[in-house]
Amino acid sequence: MSGSEERQQASAEIAPESLSESARSALAIVEEICSLSRLQMRPVVRDSDATYLNIELVGEDAGVAFGRGVNLDALQYLSNLIVMRQVHGEVRVVLDAGNYRANREAALRKLALDCAAQVKERQEECEIDPLPPHERRIIHNTLLDDPEIRTYSEGEEPNRRIIIAPR
Amino acid sequence: MKAFIEHLVQAVVDSPEEVRVEEEPGEVATKYRVHVAPSDLGKAIGKQGRIANAMRVLAKASAMKEKRKVYLEVVGAPAEVNQEM
Repeated sequence: MSGSEERQQASAEIAPESLSESARSALAIVEEICSLSRLQMRPVVRDSDATYLNIELVGEDAGVAFGRGVNLDALQYLSNLIVMRQVHGEVRVVLDAGNYRANREAALRKLALDCAAQVKERQEECEIDPLPPHERRIIHNTLLDDPEIRTYSEGEEPNRRIIIAPR
Repeated sequence: MKAFIEHLVQAVVDSPEEVRVEEEPGEVATKYRVHVAPSDLGKAIGKQGRIANAMRVLAKASAMKEKRKVYLEVVGAPAEVNQEM
């Protein structure tokens, strides 16, 4: 499973020296963007596994400027675009600021469970509004172990959306 | 701000040396006109303007602190890409 509960609880800073070379390069890319933005914020690594590098933006301006979805998603999108171009090896940056992702993840999990309950009751498919890939992943993972339903995605980015269906 | 936009654009195109950002100060807003190599136009814009839009969002976030307005235009992009402000 996703291990996202563990990730949320982990709040210690992971020293860059203990990261893989590609994760360190990805971190450097986010660091450079932060410093050039002239905002008071810097990236702190909270967790990392083989693929995902979880970074929290900390500092005076982080919560104000990036504690909202649009800004955070824009920075995450561009960071990953640059990482894909410049870093060898698969590494994906997940950004958070002001606890936005944790709150959002809780809301998405609730949405997934509510829709699943409705699907079971009515035995009808339920379509969720378009979500970015990392948010769809949360919905999929939340319902992965439910034997009564299945989830799949339909449509093209940025209008790709999840369908929850009876199995 | 100019250096910030320049950096972002240079990082997503194939010919960073051809990236040029013009700064045009106005009374209420500063306009940034981004020039890239013709072959890089798609790279700077992205599907449905997604890349240009993400850069615009970041430029606005950076300008917010100084309470300035920012317009970002990718020169040569379709009007609808540059209108998303």
